[in-house]
Amino acid sequence: MRAQSRIGTVYVKELTDILRDRRTLIAMVVVPIVLYPLLMLGSIQAVTYQAERLEDEEIIVGVVGTAQSKLLQWLVEWDDDALKRERMRLGPDSGEAARLPTSLVDRIKIHDFANRDLLEEMIRARHLHAGIAFKDDAFVRAADGQNLVEILADREVVRSQAAEGYIRNMIDRITERLVKDRKRQSQLPVNFDRPFNVQVTDLSSPSSILGQILPLILVLMTITGAIYPAIDLTAGERERGTLESLMSSPVPVFDLIVGKFLVVTTVALMGATLNLVSVSATVYVGGFDKVIADTGGAIPVGGMVLILLCLIPFAILMSGIMIAVCSCARTFKEAQNYVTPVIVAVLIPGGIAALPATRLEGLMLVMPVGNMVLLARDLLLGADVSWWHVLMVVLSTTLYAGAAVAVATSMFGRESVVFADAASWKTVLSRRLFKQSAQPTVSMGLIIVALLFPTWFFVQSILSPGREESAAGLLFNTAWLMPVLFVLLPAAALRYWKVDLRNALALRTVSGRYMAAAVLIGISAWIPIHEFSVAQLGLFGTPRALEQSSEMIAETLAALPVISVLLVIAVIPALCEELLFRGLLLQSLRTSTHKWPAILISSAVFAVFHFWLFRFVITALLGLVLAYICWQSRSIIPSLTIHLLHNGIGALTIVYPGWHRWLGLEQSTENTPFPIHVVITGVGLSVIGLFMAMRSKPASAPHLTPAAENGAPAAEAG
Amino acid sequence: MDMVVAHELVKVFPTTEGAEKRAVDALSFAVGRGRIYGLLGPNGAGKTTTLRILAGLMSPTSGSATIAGHDVSTAPGEVKRMLGFLTANTGLYQRLTARELLIYFARLHGMEPARAARRAEELVDRLNIAEFAGLRCGALSTGQKQRVNVARALVGDPPILIMDEPTLGLDVFSNRIINDFIKRQREAGKAVILSTHYLDEAEEMCDTIGLLHEGRLVAQGDLASLRAQSGEHRLSNIFLKLIERSEDAEAAVK
Repeated sequence: MRAQSRIGTVYVKELTDILRDRRTLIAMVVVPIVLYPLLMLGSIQAVTYQAERLEDEEIIVGVVGTAQSKLLQWLVEWDDDALKRERMRLGPDSGEAARLPTSLVDRIKIHDFANRDLLEEMIRARHLHAGIAFKDDAFVRAADGQNLVEILADREVVRSQAAEGYIRNMIDRITERLVKDRKRQSQLPVNFDRPFNVQVTDLSSPSSILGQILPLILVLMTITGAIYPAIDLTAGERERGTLESLMSSPVPVFDLIVGKFLVVTTVALMGATLNLVSVSATVYVGGFDKVIADTGGAIPVGGMVLILLCLIPFAILMSGIMIAVCSCARTFKEAQNYVTPVIVAVLIPGGIAALPATRLEGLMLVMPVGNMVLLARDLLLGADVSWWHVLMVVLSTTLYAGAAVAVATSMFGRESVVFADAASWKTVLSRRLFKQSAQPTVSMGLIIVALLFPTWFFVQSILSPGREESAAGLLFNTAWLMPVLFVLLPAAALRYWKVDLRNALALRTVSGRYMAAAVLIGISAWIPIHEFSVAQLGLFGTPRALEQSSEMIAETLAALPVISVLLVIAVIPALCEELLFRGLLLQSLRTSTHKWPAILISSAVFAVFHFWLFRFVITALLGLVLAYICWQSRSIIPSLTIHLLHNGIGALTIVYPGWHRWLGLEQSTENTPFPIHVVITGVGLSVIGLFMAMRSKPASAPHLTPAAENGAPAAEAG
Repeated sequence: MDMVVAHELVKVFPTTEGAEKRAVDALSFAVGRGRIYGLLGPNGAGKTTTLRILAGLMSPTSGSATIAGHDVSTAPGEVKRMLGFLTANTGLYQRLTARELLIYFARLHGMEPARAARRAEELVDRLNIAEFAGLRCGALSTGQKQRVNVARALVGDPPILIMDEPTLGLDVFSNRIINDFIKRQREAGKAVILSTHYLDEAEEMCDTIGLLHEGRLVAQGDLASLRAQSGEHRLSNIFLKLIERSEDAEAAVK
């Protein structure tokens, strides 16, 4: 049976199983359908009710001395009079009259106190809602026509805050009327004190508080949706004793895990969709959109659909993580214990992303979870999101998800998890219990690459020179950091896992035929790549940032000795990248993936590591060629040769920009294609090289002891 | 050709304290077509570990085992295709019906949907499952569950059956159905390995009996030869006698 069919069988069964579980249905269907309308209805009604009650309540205000009490009383009555006149003028039953503020005359209750201390104490003791202290007991000072009004309030008390608002509004109304009168008396124009009147028209699509928090709620709901099925399908299966019979049927662990992982993703997405539908229905059908609009805009229905699309890769990632974590657990309870810290860890970047000041740029682009929350928010608020940001978020999320599924595959069905009742983490992590193995497993490869990716991104962001700085620091630091991160650390990890380094990194000698193929491709590939680059430039132009950075690097390089240029441009990157991408990554994929998926995955990862998505296609194409010849020859020496020659020619162009003339070419620029005979020669040589690699008998596998059957690091426990 | 061959099997469990536990120690035996091999021993003798190694679920620390010619360490996929594995405490998917469960495992064995459904019906008939085939497994009695389990182990029609205490905790009626079924499998030419606690069951069912004690095979042979070796008649007495003798021998060596 084909793998897809097996995975499909597992998928259908697990989905049926989990959907028949009452707990899933309650968590997934009942909670969102009932919860949101209830929550929203409840909170809105509570707020409205409270506001209505506050509007009818008495406002108890204190002043110091009878004179001040009289002044306040007089002001309240004066305002009441003015409001009554205004209402008459507008017509008592008109809509405009209904919108007039209500007078405080029936609600305010004024107490007067002997001194200020007493007044303050009464407010603090919450016997009074507010206090008022006028600087002058008289109406306004004759000298400058002003009186200072001090409102005393306890802003932590809702009623006090409300009272402050009512009094302030009343004083403002009175002030406005007085100003109007004064202008009339002095025969000044109405807008004497306001020569310019500023109005801002907001052209952004309406956003709201809901738009800010909805992505986080949905992210949370997606996680919650993934937890229960992830536990049930892994630790639950083991606890109920069905895992042993499942493992004894002739289905590879990988297919089982992928089937289960897809079910978890489906359930998480179903949960998120239902949540979204329920929120939308509550808002739009329930008529709350107007209420929300009053507090700062609403969400367009189209935005909801966009968020849902964004949630798909996120659901994939979360399901991968949850399945991986729960695969290590032996019981339901143990799995729940593992899940809690994971949720916290996931919510931290999510929370950072939810801060209004955080933007989708720099490290946030590759921060797991955080990048998704930000992308969802930006899309929802109608911010300008560039396509390569979207691509970066989706690609990095996919990379992390792949690593998580790989971990799950290696953990699920491991002897110590399937059978041991009391095996501890020590037995899983203890190096003593690992078996020697010749090949790295997929999970090893993907874990290392997934950890390196944000690290490398972060390092490059820190190193990238400012506007006026030279690129020397970037070049120098990359020259030593790349070997450390790409080679030394992965090699140390492999040693820890007791993997044979020569095999893992494909350090094998090869036949002359592969070397000849490599040399042909190495000296000619730059020509088709140049042509491709010219075509792409013609189509899209160069991003200015890329142009600037390339120019800056070229300038710095031109000032360096030739040997340094060769080291920095050719030797170090070629060695490090071959060891990591064609060595560790491709060799680990070789253990459990077919030829073309392995080649495609490794070259896509290779390209993503170069960050400039503008060069993604070109880098990926080069990666394809390198991975192909490495796969065929089972050695990185041919691909290393190609990489060295290719980058060496790049270095040559920097040191001797005019070297093309030796080939009888005019000095070329990045914008002009080569003459047709050069292109034909270049493409021809590369194709002959590829053809030689294709026709060469694929090198036979060295004698390998397979890494532990269920995926190393293999630990066994009693 | 022997369908199951175990050669010098050793399984050592590392423990976190550093001491090692030899659960299976230099175990060798073979089972041919149409034979039932009984693995007998007290709790913790290493029966279950041995059977799990044979089923390709655990890898041996050293030694080798082949199932229908396939090595359990290097070809676990082939091994799993060749055998039906059953344990006493195997759970069933509570929320699937018995029939759905059988069809699911038939599909996992690579059968097309129509064939999987036919195979499930065959097993439903043969193990008298029909009356509860439409019920969810969570609602079945212990005996009914075990019958479904036996059917599940046989779904791929494997030439080899490994049954770890298949009648543990069953009533007489279910016990009879399962034991008769196992005997019919022998008649059909399958190789069966049976581990059990019930000595009279072993007496009744097994062609060859291996006595396992602390990971080692103390004695092996048909009932007659075991009687001759020990001078006892009843299997339980044979059992105790031989274990006693092996412990004495061990003490003497030390």
